Parts: sequence; structure tokens; C-alpha cells
Amino acid sequence: MSDDPARAVQAALDRLAAAREGVIGRPWREITGALGAVGRRFLDPTDPLRVEALRALPAEAGLGPEMAETVLDGMAGDWSAARLRSTVEAEFEDPDVLDGPVVVRGREVMAAGPALCVQIVSGSVPGVGVNALVRSLLVKGPTLVKPGRGDLLLPRLFQRALAEHDPELAAAAEVLYWPSDAAAALRAALARSDVLVAYGSDTTVAALRAAAPATTRVVTYHHRVAVAVVGREVLNGSSVERVALDTARAVALFEQRGCVCPHRVYVEEGGELDADAFAERLASALEALESNLPSAPLDPEEGAALHQLRGTAELLAASGQARVRHGGVAAPWTVVRGAEPTVGDTPTLARGVQVITLADFEELASRLAADGRHLQSVGYAGLEERLGAIAAALGHAGAARVVPIERLSFPPPWWLHDGRGPLRELVRWVETERPESATTLLPAAARRARSPSDVRPSGSPRRGR
Amino acid sequence: MDTDFQKLADALEVRFEASTSDPWVEDAFASAALDCFRHQYAACAPYRALCAARGATPEEVARWHDVPMVPATAFKHFDFHSGGGAPSEAVFRTSGTTRGAGRRGRHPVPRLSLYRAAALPPLAAALLPEGGRIRMASLIPPPEEAPESSLSTMAGFAAERYGSTVEWLVDARGAWRPDAGRAFHALAEEGEPVLLLGTALAFLHALDSSEVRLPCLPEGSRIMETGGFKGARRSVSRQELHAALVERMGVEGRAIVNEYGMTELLSQLWEPVLTEGVESAGWHRPAPWLRVRALDPMTLEPLPEGREGVLAFFDLANLGSVSHVLTEDIGSIVKGRVRLRGRAPGSEPRGCSRAMDELMAAAGG
Repeated sequence: MSDDPARAVQAALDRLAAAREGVIGRPWREITGALGAVGRRFLDPTDPLRVEALRALPAEAGLGPEMAETVLDGMAGDWSAARLRSTVEAEFEDPDVLDGPVVVRGREVMAAGPALCVQIVSGSVPGVGVNALVRSLLVKGPTLVKPGRGDLLLPRLFQRALAEHDPELAAAAEVLYWPSDAAAALRAALARSDVLVAYGSDTTVAALRAAAPATTRVVTYHHRVAVAVVGREVLNGSSVERVALDTARAVALFEQRGCVCPHRVYVEEGGELDADAFAERLASALEALESNLPSAPLDPEEGAALHQLRGTAELLAASGQARVRHGGVAAPWTVVRGAEPTVGDTPTLARGVQVITLADFEELASRLAADGRHLQSVGYAGLEERLGAIAAALGHAGAARVVPIERLSFPPPWWLHDGRGPLRELVRWVETERPESATTLLPAAARRARSPSDVRPSGSPRRGR
Repeated sequence: MDTDFQKLADALEVRFEASTSDPWVEDAFASAALDCFRHQYAACAPYRALCAARGATPEEVARWHDVPMVPATAFKHFDFHSGGGAPSEAVFRTSGTTRGAGRRGRHPVPRLSLYRAAALPPLAAALLPEGGRIRMASLIPPPEEAPESSLSTMAGFAAERYGSTVEWLVDARGAWRPDAGRAFHALAEEGEPVLLLGTALAFLHALDSSEVRLPCLPEGSRIMETGGFKGARRSVSRQELHAALVERMGVEGRAIVNEYGMTELLSQLWEPVLTEGVESAGWHRPAPWLRVRALDPMTLEPLPEGREGVLAFFDLANLGSVSHVLTEDIGSIVKGRVRLRGRAPGSEPRGCSRAMDELMAAAGG
């Protein structure tokens, strides 16, 4: 990047504008294939790309080598052609809408990607920048990705590898980093964006939203957290160790930096074991994980947050309001048993987690309501036949995803990120009405009964399937 | 050992007022710090419980460095009142959280005169090194309207002690007073130096304001600016803000003085730019009775000079609550000066800075 970030951004935007035509002309299947071919390389132990990624990732992202490998495997697993194809298919009833007008449910529609998708990604979760890049290319939107400071490596490697494999497609993706105080660079990027995708803290996202032109669609992913819930069904001798280990892994993965990391675990009463016993098992599991997935040295911000949590918990413990176990100066894991905080009351980072008693799962949604706007995923163990009703209540409380705890960390690429389709958010629908088109929509049953040829004159675009 | 709060506070007030800008010598600080600890251990039940749990009682602790620290977050969960039988004369509240809905911290202050004694001498050294009084104007709400704001309270102390005249330009909600424009204009016209107080966010909004235009201030004027942008709707770099203020208000760069403080601490740190020039910008000088250490993020062991870590403060002015406070702020120490990295993500700017931003946002400002 040149010394002048704004100039570098302008140059990148010019290149992206020139690349648009090329990417628009590519069938979506071909794009998934090209992206998948690059993505696969990150999983091949013999591929120099993966070797390079694993060499540099721990230092850049502040992760231990074992954690870096686990994270790369988890993220890159979603960058295969098959997974990306499934994503497009999950998002669009007829994915051919990405290639041109198609008749879908009696309407002739097309999904047009943005002429320019600017994506500002904050944080240091490796792979988020690649996900952003991939999403935009899947809808044929040339994209400028500004990765988080701890996530520069993978988007750059991905873009470079894509340039080797498919220069035309790679020309539609630029990965640039500029410091957050380079306001002119941001202004330059936003001025030309059709779509702005902003990841980050509430503050960052609000600032970006305010800075975007009125004509730019703003897609935001603000600060969110996950929680885990453990039902009485698994609070017994045969299940609890596995649930504690799954929970510990979910806490440890991404070192509590991701929106899918559980900061609280609600443990239901009425099982053979209680929340205290679960907290003990969870602490032991976190301690054991230090051997398999050792934590990296903390950066000052993580240390600051960790000691706010520990110190506050120790004060509460000394007053009989909580219990706390932690890894001392050797390891950052910290388990606090006690009163229920709200988001922001007590920061949890670096393998810190709070264990809270819940009389019954039916209470959970109301207990989480205050944090609903910051709730992302709910990981569960147990629940069984109660799942449907509880998931519905959690959904109304703000959750976007209810999954088994062991699946918390790595949602599939088609997940409803913050409750919205990751690709549908980026496209603009275009509808064509022909003189002979129906002017009122028929009931669904009638539409199914009619032949598509009723609304598709000969010579019109391909029919939806 | 004297654990009587009022007697200890009397002695500290006298010593604060007699202090030069130099840090207290170590022996004097250490002795006073351990007195503080003994008092707080005796007077503050939740703190005593923590110390006892750690085996860090006054009998066991020989160095102030080993006095148990209280994390700033804990002010949200406890009232650390160490005033003995004295009720709180004020309870300062933090302004909320940048992470979302959360409770606000509370700092009980059993004796406001101790806060006043701690706040004024460093403020005067930083803003009025030549002494005397000055015309003052404030973008910080007046203390009568914002009694829970430690910043407003400090501005009130300053106005009372050093103001020849005082114009409070905004109300408790952060909105301009109806006569703010006229008051500004009069200050500019009268030709006497002005001390203008405000948060960084207040200045940012004032620069953008269509209601009131910030005037060019008379020669010799100066600006006190405090608070960060974290938690705000928008931010600019401090350099950009200062450049805009220099351009609009005609003050020298060295006349924009940054204050660093937080609700949980009654002493402050100041950039001594007015006396030492802009080279000292970014290097905050602690009040003489305030010790600052940068600690290892994992072990909390002190770091060598110049290494960035988590900042811990031992503030004798916090006699009425708890003195040894571990913050979320990151910084390094060189020759007794503190270099802040900016506040850690999610931590809170002090006082009304963010409250004002929210109000401005609500008002479409």
C-alpha cells in the first residue's frame, strides 16, 4: 500500500470498477468452483499456501500454533466448492437469479450484486475477512475488504492464490488495510460503495453507518455474544464430562473474540449434578485444554479485561456472592459462578466464562431479553423434546442461532448471520414485467398448479427450477 | 495508627495544597499509602473481605505495591465507601458502557473537599501556571445540574477558585443554552484570555454545530480537553481535533491541554504542554500523590519502563473509597509520565462525555 491510504483506496476502486464486467459474466457455479479450488488449498497439509498461513497466523492473530491450526481448519472447511455451492443454493430458491433474469414463483427476477461492496472488518478472528471476500464474489460484487488488524494474513493469501488460479475473478477483490484514523481513505471508499458491510463494536458500526452516503446500503454486524445452556438431561455422571469439554472448547476457540464464543453458561436445576458441579468440571476442562489448545500470551487489552473479570469475581466471592476458579498466572481461563451479569457489566475475554443457575429453561428467554440486541448464538446440551418451544422463545428474545454446544464455534457458511441471509443482504432484486405478465399474484396453490410457461413467453429468460 | 477518616483527610488536604508539581518522594508516599490501606481495610467491608481472602491484611502488607487492587469494573457491583460514619457528600456515576446495556459504576465520595484539594493544584499547574484568575467558559455542564458527574464537579471547583467570570454554555443534557452564542461572542470581543473547558466529544459537536459558532478566542486563551471517543458515534484523531480547534479558535497548539481522569479516581493526570511545549503532548503527568504502574497483562507484575501494560493507580485522594485501582486502560510509563494507548475497547470515558454524545445523537446533532 502506498504512503497515502486514500490514494491507494482510489486506485483499488478504479481496478475494481474495471473488473466488474468480467465477474458479472461468470456463471455462479464457475465462481464457486474457482473459490473452492483456492479454499481447498488451505486444508492441504502439503500445500505451501497452508504452510505459509500456519507459519504466520499465530503471531498475527495472537493465537497459539495449535489454536491457529484448529481455527484455520474450521474456517477453511467452509471454503470448498461444495460448501459454497450449498450456500448459494440455501440463499436463493433458484441460484440462477445470479446469472440473469429467471422466473421464480411466477415473477421474472434477477439478483444483481453490488457494483462495489466495501467491507470493513474489525477484530482479530482469522478468516472473517476471507468469508467477507467470498460472500461478495459469490454474488458477483467487486469488493474492497479492509480486514481487521489481526486478520490480514488469510484474506491476502486467499486473494493472492485466487489471482494465480483465476485472475479475472481475483481482479474483483482487493484487500487493503489502512489505520482507523485515515479518515480520507474511509471517505474515499464509502463515497463509491453500493453496499457497505461493517463488522465491529457498536461504536465502530454506528460510526460507519453514520459515515455512509444515503445511497449506500449498510449491512452491519455489531457486537454480539453467545451463551450456552446446559439442560438437566445431561447433568449426570455419564454426560457431564463431555458437555463440559464441548463448552470449554467453545469458550477457548477464538479466545473469546468471536460472536459465537459463549461468555455465559446457564445450567438448569433438577439434574443429578448442579451448577457448582458443572462449573468445577468446566474449570477442569479448561485447565486440560491448556495442553491441547494452549492459550497465547495475552495482549494488554485482553489482560485488562481478564483482570477486571477476575478481580470483580474475587470481590464478589469474598462477599459470598460468587465463586471463582482460574488458571492463575499460568493460564487465562477463568470460571466465575455467580450472579447474572448483563452484557458489558463485566468484560469476558481470553477464556473467561460465567456459570449461572437457571431454575428451568423456560426462564431463559426472559433472562436473556435485556441482552437480546447483543445475543448471537445459543449453544445447548440436553433439552431434547423441549427444544422447539425454547428455540422459539429464544428467537423472540433476540437469538439468531440455536445449536448444540459442540457446533457453536463454526457455523456453516450459509448460516443466518445475525439473523439474516449472508448473500441475500448483498444483492439488489431486479424484476422484469412483460406486457403479458400477471398483474396480481396468484395464491401459492394456484401458482404451483400453473405451468411456468403461462408467465414465460418464448424467448424470455431461462425458467427457474 | 490513625484510621479516623476525617483526620487522615485533613492531613492529606493540607499536604495536597502544599505540594509542588513533583511527585511525592517515595517514603512520604509509601507511608501515606499504607495509612490509606489500613483505613480502607478497616472501613470498607467488601474491600476487607477481598484483602482477607487474599491474605493481604495490613499486618501482612509492607509495601504499597502489594496492597490489593480493585478493578474499576467492581465499582459497578459495590459501593466502596470508606468514610467511616460520614455519609457520602456525592456519589459519582460512570456514564454507562460501550458494550451495551450494563449497570453504571458508583464512586461514593464522603468528603468533597478532599476531591477539591486533589483536583485543583494539578489543574492550576497545567492550565494556569502563571497563577491568578481567568475568564472561564465551559462545555461541561455545571455541577448543580450534574451532581453525579465527577467532571462537572471538578469544573465547578475550578470555576469557583480560578474563574474571574464563568459562562456555563451547555445544560445537563449537553444542549446549548439559549444565550451560548452571545456569551461566546462577548468573550471573544472583550479581549481577555479565556479558559474553555470541554470534553473531546463536546468540542467535536461544537465544531459541527450550526447553532453556535465557536469564535476565535483572545490571545493567551487556552483549552482544557478531556475524555476519549470510545463509545461515541464518531471519532477523529486527537491531532485532527486539536488542529481544528487551533484553526477555528486561534489558540496555540500548546494551549490545548489534555486531562486524563476517570470517575473511579479523584486525582487526575495532565499534559504539561502549556509549560513544556507540545513535545510533552501525549505524556501525562500524574498528580504528585498518584502513583501509576504499567503491569503485565497476565501476571500483573510491574513492567520495565516504556513497556505497555495494564495501568494501575494508587490514588491517595481516594481515601474515602479504595485507593489501589486496576483499570482497563493500556499505557506505558517513562520517567514518571504516562503514555496512554487510548482506552481499552469497551472501557468508559469519564463523566458526561458519552452522555452528551448520546444526547447530541438523539437530537440529531
